[in-house]
Amino acid sequence: MAASLVEVNGVSKAFRIPSVQRQTVREHVFGVLQPRRFDRLAVLDDVSFELRRGEALGIMGRNGCGKSTLLKIVCGVYPADRGTVVTRAPITPILELGVGWNPELDAVDNVFLIGSVMGLTLGEIRASVDEILAFAELEKFANLKLKHYSSGMSSRLAYSVAFKAVREILVLDEIFAVGDAGFKARCEERYRQLRAAGRTVLIVSHDPRTIASFCDRAVLLDGGRIVATGEADKVAERYVSVLTQGNRATTPQAHASA
Amino acid sequence: MTSASVETDLELTAVHADAPAVRPRAAAAVVRAGLVWTLIRTDFKARYHGSLGGFVWALLKPLSMFLVLMAVFSFLFASNPNYKLDLIVGLFLWDFFAEATKTGLTSLHARGFLLTKARFPSWILVVTSISNAVITLGVFAVIITIFLAAAGRAPHGQAVALFLAYCGALVAIVVGFSLATSVLFLRYRDLNQVWDVAVQAGFFVAPIIYPLGIIPERFHIYLYVWPPTPVIEFSRAALVAGTVPTATAHICLAVDAALCLAAGIAIFRRFAPRAAEYL
Repeated sequence: MAASLVEVNGVSKAFRIPSVQRQTVREHVFGVLQPRRFDRLAVLDDVSFELRRGEALGIMGRNGCGKSTLLKIVCGVYPADRGTVVTRAPITPILELGVGWNPELDAVDNVFLIGSVMGLTLGEIRASVDEILAFAELEKFANLKLKHYSSGMSSRLAYSVAFKAVREILVLDEIFAVGDAGFKARCEERYRQLRAAGRTVLIVSHDPRTIASFCDRAVLLDGGRIVATGEADKVAERYVSVLTQGNRATTPQAHASA
Repeated sequence: MTSASVETDLELTAVHADAPAVRPRAAAAVVRAGLVWTLIRTDFKARYHGSLGGFVWALLKPLSMFLVLMAVFSFLFASNPNYKLDLIVGLFLWDFFAEATKTGLTSLHARGFLLTKARFPSWILVVTSISNAVITLGVFAVIITIFLAAAGRAPHGQAVALFLAYCGALVAIVVGFSLATSVLFLRYRDLNQVWDVAVQAGFFVAPIIYPLGIIPERFHIYLYVWPPTPVIEFSRAALVAGTVPTATAHICLAVDAALCLAAGIAIFRRFAPRAAEYL
């Protein structure tokens, strides 16, 4: 049995930002004589870390530091430009809350759709759909189309499905950022159950308290690089000091105008 | 371990641990099959609002077209005794081609919300998107058979087998087209409008409302480049005229279908890995 379930080795990712956006055939045809510049926006630069079996690892950093891009690469949604990601167990991600539903279908059908994408069999979904709806407190709205749902309702449903679908690794982008106090408490309880059952968790957050209380270990991401790795509360402290000092932990690549 | 025993395990451990951590290969196939079935089922439901009445509308479109065109053009082509049967075969095959390519082109965009959920083979989203059109084509095939039987020429086994093979070739062409254009549509957001124009012109390039014979023979080769043309012409030969196209013609259609499918797969493999970045 391998010690680490996910190995991220030297991952880099850059997006090419064109000076002029061309999204249609027409724009490409008429723009053929006007060359455009491409700016390279380096989002991740040589990032390496490992996720060990049974641990909860936090990835922290301020907005725009590359956290969400890194998660998408780990989950296989984005390809890396350079570097490799080795995964040795199935990953269940909760990324980009609020999107991810077919608005023309009701909650039950959407649960079937998302559940089967997340790797559940139809039998498993059928057996747990009531429990999923109950966890999200949406039993009364089971046959309501998702287009009539509020953003909070659909987010609760997303958490509920993923908590049910998780097999080995749970990946959370901004953990427990949704719902009222009661739902948050149930999420936390469910989270602790999963941890107690030996599940491995990868959490992304810009909130140091979240990382300190829910993670064993953490990495601090700044300017697309990992600038600190260690015990979660130590890294959280470092993050707070970086924030309060107002300067970047690494050499700045670009200055935003104040 | 069989999938059945996995489910038993699940029921026992459902309170604590949910799905089994390690899934055997056979169970992974069960998951994929479940995904395919769910995509087809929900697509049908969303499109026709879960009612048979909604589905009837999809059939009425080419049927009403058939009635109008027949009323007008059967006078013009009165010398052709098979005109009505030729027309209905052509219209139904065309309707499948037009509907399936339009849906396939936008399929990845329309179902893009699933792409960012997890890692899974995204071609499933594209291929299942034409399922509705395939179901409609199946119903069309039954209607065509009824029309043929009513005209006193119920198709025999060989004609049916040939027609199914032609439909298979058409589906392969449509799948290839959908795979290629679904990823390209994410980068070129007016591709659907370009295709709408092409489909509108293509309706008249394919010999649907006119017999191919009225076009000088030296131009036929150009019309046959447009994939619906050989499928429609061969189907008419087998079902209506009761003849069998030459072996060369069959080979050309098979190569055409194989090339479309291969090109579609190649383009999809080239662009699909970055598809989520363009959503």
